[in-house]
Amino acid sequence: MTPLESYFPLAVVFALALVLGLALVGLAALLGPRRPSRVKEAPFECGSDPVGDARGRFGVKFYVIALLFVVFDIEAVFIYPWAVQVRELGWNGFATMAVFAATLVAGLAYVWKKGALDWE
Amino acid sequence: MPTVSSQDVLALAPVAILALGGIALLLSEVFLTSGKRGYQAFLTVLFAATAGLTAFGATPGKVFAGQATADAFSAFVTITVSFGLALAALVSASWLDARGAERGEFYALSLFAASGMSLLGMASDLLVAFVAIEIMSLSTYALAAWMRRGKKPAEAAFKYFILGAFSSALLLYGTSLVFGATGSTLLSDVARGPLQAGGSALLSAGLVLVAAGLAFKVAAVPFHVWTPDVYEGAPTPVTAFMAAGVKTAAFAILARTVLAAYAATGGAADSAFPRVLAVLALLTMLVGNLFAVPQRSVKRMLAYSSIAHAGYLLLGVLAAGLPAVRERALSGVLFYLASYTASAIGAFAVVGALESNGQPGDEPADAWDLERLAGLSRRRPLLAFAMTVFMLSLAGVPPTAGFVAKLLVFQAAVGAQYLALAVVGVLTSALGAYYYLRVVVYMYMRPAAEGEPAGVTSPVLSVALAVAVAAVVVLGIGSEPVASLARAAAAVVR
Amino acid sequence: MADRAELWIFLLFAIPLVIAAAGVVAARNPVNAAMSLVAAFFFLAGIYVLLVAHLVAFLQILVYAGAIMVVFLFVIMLLQLHDQDMQDAKLKAMQWGGIIGASGVLTVVALAIQQAGEIHWKAVPESFGTVKAVGMLLFTQYLLPFEATSLLLLVAIVGAVVVAKQRI
Repeated sequence: MTPLESYFPLAVVFALALVLGLALVGLAALLGPRRPSRVKEAPFECGSDPVGDARGRFGVKFYVIALLFVVFDIEAVFIYPWAVQVRELGWNGFATMAVFAATLVAGLAYVWKKGALDWE
Repeated sequence: MPTVSSQDVLALAPVAILALGGIALLLSEVFLTSGKRGYQAFLTVLFAATAGLTAFGATPGKVFAGQATADAFSAFVTITVSFGLALAALVSASWLDARGAERGEFYALSLFAASGMSLLGMASDLLVAFVAIEIMSLSTYALAAWMRRGKKPAEAAFKYFILGAFSSALLLYGTSLVFGATGSTLLSDVARGPLQAGGSALLSAGLVLVAAGLAFKVAAVPFHVWTPDVYEGAPTPVTAFMAAGVKTAAFAILARTVLAAYAATGGAADSAFPRVLAVLALLTMLVGNLFAVPQRSVKRMLAYSSIAHAGYLLLGVLAAGLPAVRERALSGVLFYLASYTASAIGAFAVVGALESNGQPGDEPADAWDLERLAGLSRRRPLLAFAMTVFMLSLAGVPPTAGFVAKLLVFQAAVGAQYLALAVVGVLTSALGAYYYLRVVVYMYMRPAAEGEPAGVTSPVLSVALAVAVAAVVVLGIGSEPVASLARAAAAVVR
Repeated sequence: MADRAELWIFLLFAIPLVIAAAGVVAARNPVNAAMSLVAAFFFLAGIYVLLVAHLVAFLQILVYAGAIMVVFLFVIMLLQLHDQDMQDAKLKAMQWGGIIGASGVLTVVALAIQQAGEIHWKAVPESFGTVKAVGMLLFTQYLLPFEATSLLLLVAIVGAVVVAKQRI
């Protein structure tokens, strides 16, 4: 089996997802009854008032949270290749990863205690 | 299987100590909530001293699969960086305390930056170099943004960040091209040249991009445009640390990369690489000195002077390409870096002490004007004396450290047959004497303006200034111990 | 036959990738540019999968298309640009200089790659690029940069808090 062939099931899944998505929306438009009203046509925005400037200003605190998310996301990515071969890498690998994680735990402790995770 | 030998760990000890020190200060800031922060600067000095001492302890050799080299060269860089960090921490303590902006994060970031610089001095792999540069740069970006209010600091931090990120991208792209041509990121493999004959152009393109990325960090012309604004806008102690530490570390990796590039492109004589470096050195010496002359702001003048000094250092790195004078040139560069560290931090410390102490980040446009130094010899005779020593050293007047440093570098340049460049170096140094001595003239011969504040000094600042003055004078008069250390360091680099 | 199929699949990712990348530069509205960038990241991940670089592809989706894009959008929202701010899109002399310089560098690199001629690629083992193989390299040959990265991430955390927190 060439590498390309091994992706065939994946391609099938993507194709099915596409077909299913199109089919559901398409069938609903085709078969469903349409009784529009003013409230129904207003854009739905999770309960908040959808009227106003679309580019409302976000507070800088969103940015701190987002950046912290990126950092810990990258940490997760680095744990992944270690996790798939944790037995081959043995205790040495564990120690390596422990040093890596400990550094970031120190960072987490700092952020937590600093109150950067609190919504001021 | 990952195997880490004790040699690996020992070699990395200075880097680890600096990093652990940073973590310790970070956590102490949030867990000790007494509000007393006097201990932080002293802890920083302590960690810097320990790191500097352990730099001697490592067995020389390659560690971590050749990715880093612990040798006399890296030890010299670590010691210089640690010395700069300790001085800058003392200067910061006084400056920040006067503005109520002293926090553990400041020292933690300084320690992290120093840890990156120390790692950069050891790096013998382009990937390690990249990560080390990023550790150093990210810390200094955040430090530059420390006083967040005001227009100038914000502009400085933003400019520094954007251009720094751009230069890192250049460096990384160059590294990828080098990897394509040689199949490795190890400098020892890069020195062997391209895998195939046709790949030499690809290797050259990659190396030039890497060199351009590093030229940004050392502020070589034409990659210097950010320097004056960033140096002027950043908090003065941060500028001091940036000018000394970043320059030292960046020149260390630049020297190692340039030597590998010389080897890869077939010797110094017939390749384009030395010519590119020569043009950079020439432009940097000329532009740095010429633009420093009209500056009325002392801080901005020191920024241009830092560019000019990068030019002399580049001249030394260029001369190191010739195997016959390599040892002399490299030891000259190392000595120069040590001497510049003491002189520049001292000079910025005096500038910081005289700065108006109003709203943080809200300094008036003439905050660092020459007029503020007028009559300093009568108001603060010791401060004026210290500034005079630093100015003489930066100008290269005997018997200061700057003179010996310039002498060593110019001798090496002459030995490597770069006569024209050495002449330009001497002439621009003479020009430099004009604007450095102008500061001295203002301090000793101009009457003080009415109501000029005496400036802030504190015991820690006095200690820092005394140490810096002592270093400058000792390196100038009894230069031999440090010079021999630099020679030993230069001898191990191939 | 397999080569032909691979070429088609490559084009399936590459052509939209170039279009999306052009969209990033050309879009007037920064939010549109960011969205084009997400699309470009996805198609790029497809090409990585084609190269059997699974970890890189995974990273591309998780970190770039996911996390980094969120930061991009927050920054765009934070800057709060209005349409009138974006009218002044005439190229200034400086920008022309940038374009000329960038195309100069690209030309040199392209010529260098061309001059390298036909490269006799070293055959790599079957597993090259898979998560396991990358992990093995990461924990042996590249152990030092890996550990250094943890310090880099810590610096990023502290830097973000110092720069963006309202009171420190």
